[in-house]
Amino acid sequence: MIPTSYYVLLSVAVFCIGVFGILTRRNALIFLMSVELMLNAANINLVAFSRLFGNLTGQVFSLFVMALAAAEVAIGIGIILVLYRNFNDVDVTKPVTMRW
Amino acid sequence: MSAFDFAPAIPLLPFASFVAILIIGHSAPRILPKGGAIPGSLATGGALLLSLWLLLPVSAGQYHNEVFYSWVAAEETFSLHLGVLIDPLSALMAVIVSLVSFMVFVFSMGYMNDEGETGLPRYYAELSLFSFSMLAFVIADNLLMAFMFFELVGLCSYLLIGFWFREDAPSSAAKKAFLVTRFGDYFFLVGTVGIFAAFGTGRFVAGETEGMRSFPVLAEEALNQGHQILGLAPETAITLLGLAVLGGVVGKSAQFPLHTWLPDAMEGPTPVSALIHAATMVAAGVYLVARMYGFYALSPTALGIIALIGGFTALVAATMGVVKREIKQVLAYSTISQYGYIMLGLGAGGYVAGVFHLTTHAFFKALLFLGAGSVIVAMHHNENMWDMGGLRDKMPVTYYTFLAGSLALAGIFPFAGFWSKDEVLYETLIHGLNDPLLLIAYAFGLVAVFFTGFYTFRMVFLTFHGEPRTDTAADPHPVRWNIKLPLVVLGTLATVAGVINLAPVEKLTGIHLTFLHDWLDGGFEGANAHHYLELLEGVAGYHAASLGALGPAVLSLAVALVGAGLAWRLYNVPDPTEHTAKLGSIQTLLVHNYYQDEYQVWLAEGVTLPLARLADKFDQGVVDGVVNATSSISLLSGSRIKRLQTGVVTNYAALLTLGLVALILIVGIYGGWF
Repeated sequence: MIPTSYYVLLSVAVFCIGVFGILTRRNALIFLMSVELMLNAANINLVAFSRLFGNLTGQVFSLFVMALAAAEVAIGIGIILVLYRNFNDVDVTKPVTMRW
Repeated sequence: MSAFDFAPAIPLLPFASFVAILIIGHSAPRILPKGGAIPGSLATGGALLLSLWLLLPVSAGQYHNEVFYSWVAAEETFSLHLGVLIDPLSALMAVIVSLVSFMVFVFSMGYMNDEGETGLPRYYAELSLFSFSMLAFVIADNLLMAFMFFELVGLCSYLLIGFWFREDAPSSAAKKAFLVTRFGDYFFLVGTVGIFAAFGTGRFVAGETEGMRSFPVLAEEALNQGHQILGLAPETAITLLGLAVLGGVVGKSAQFPLHTWLPDAMEGPTPVSALIHAATMVAAGVYLVARMYGFYALSPTALGIIALIGGFTALVAATMGVVKREIKQVLAYSTISQYGYIMLGLGAGGYVAGVFHLTTHAFFKALLFLGAGSVIVAMHHNENMWDMGGLRDKMPVTYYTFLAGSLALAGIFPFAGFWSKDEVLYETLIHGLNDPLLLIAYAFGLVAVFFTGFYTFRMVFLTFHGEPRTDTAADPHPVRWNIKLPLVVLGTLATVAGVINLAPVEKLTGIHLTFLHDWLDGGFEGANAHHYLELLEGVAGYHAASLGALGPAVLSLAVALVGAGLAWRLYNVPDPTEHTAKLGSIQTLLVHNYYQDEYQVWLAEGVTLPLARLADKFDQGVVDGVVNATSSISLLSGSRIKRLQTGVVTNYAALLTLGLVALILIVGIYGGWF
């Protein structure tokens, strides 16, 4: 059986990729994908530990996270559409009106 | 159906008239009969009938105490309520107040309506409110309610003194009256709060149930058992609380040193002066002392101070009355002086004597003011006595009633004022023989009798005797029935009201004649003259020396006659001259009222104002400085930190990540992961 630490390491790697994407990219759609990566990193953790302890709660939880991610994408796409309509772009560094 | 069911209506009738006159006078002044005099007279007349009706059950030994509205009803601490208290003292006072108010309303028809004054609905509405406040104050059953109506009385006097507010003098006199009495009322407020804090109640007499006790009785218990009150020894606490309340009394009753407002208050219409001096405003102060006499009787210090203030005021005011030129000014100083006698009587242990003098004074002072009003109408509103003279033949009704009032004021046998003033002085003397402090107060009072006799008859002779000194005095304006009727009623009372308490006659002949003593001996337990006497002897240590009644009575009568005789010598001549110049520098001192106003203005401008400036500097500099520094620090740090809000979402994400990393590092370091 594959040791749990491998899953954890995978999760860390996926999460870091997500964070890296958010910090470096400008495209709002890439943002959305990065967030998706981070959520799934958490899912990997949940499922891995669920299997380790033989407790199904973690797996159920991961199902919830997926539902949540779907909702988040729906809202995120909506925001991006509005962004595009107002600024003619999906570059997140363009809209800077909400500043001091 | 008993008379007590209608007791709340006594103050509420004038209140209803106030509301009615105010509304009708504002919306439809044409339909208001006599500018509001008729509804006002009806209301105070009704109040008078109801008060007289109250005398029946009270004389049968039934008393009444009822709470009709509680606005704070607490279980553990005190409750605040409005209530009605009818006992011999308040029933007597209600009769006096409603009678004088009624007379003043009738008189006002002659003084205000017939003279074509404008603003009559305002006048009568304020007069009704005045009667309402005073009557409600009289039947108040607790100290807080008394305080509320005490203040309302002060407000009404402010409104009425400043009735002719378009002129400078009345409006500034009104302000002065309000501010000076307010100054005293601050102390009253402190005393009220202190009494509520110390005893948990402000009731004058105990209520129906076990828990509703009265504060004088609670104070007496604390004194007997030696319990501390507010962390002080009971004697000290009772004295301090009593003196604080006394501050309000001194202000309202125009006692030294807060008497300066009263002579200025003469700027108001004369019927108002009659009401203020005889039955309302000024009487409110001494009535309060009588009302909580069970409390004052516990503190010999407070009683001594009351007696001294009273005696001193009686003398000082009487000397100032000697040199005044306006008839109303003389009467104003006589009022201050007479209230000094009442205070002297109360402070010297003569509770009944004080109340007796309060009663007779209400009659003869109202009479004198209304008589002066009649003279002023006749003289076309010239108040200077040196422009009068010889009015005796032109206005006999005014003359004889005014003379009756003057004889009562001077304390000449057998007019009402003689009996009451004599009893005040007698009580002071018999207690003073065992107490040198009271003896000093008695000396003040006795010397003041001389001056009272002098200034009273100086006023009478200058006004009514001799030859007319001006054309107006030779042909005075006639006055109508509505002026004469109140004069006759009050003149009769000023002559015969002494019969309610002929103490010296009783001592001489052995016939029982002290009806006022019997009257005030009745009442609720712990709040009657009988109990007060026990307290005075048992707690305050007042002991009456045995002394014949005839000697002191003859002495005070002789002194009064000497004063009156001197006035006769000097002023009862066809063409009197001013003799005041012979007094030299004393005259200057008296004309300037002992520079009381000047020194009070100096106190305000020379002491209080710099002190207030200093306090203002402290407030602006230190207190506001701290507040402003706090806010400027917030502002400064805010303007720096706001730069984080770049509006670029990537920056926020970076901050979030950095924050998370920092958090993990901190938790890690403290959790010992590394």
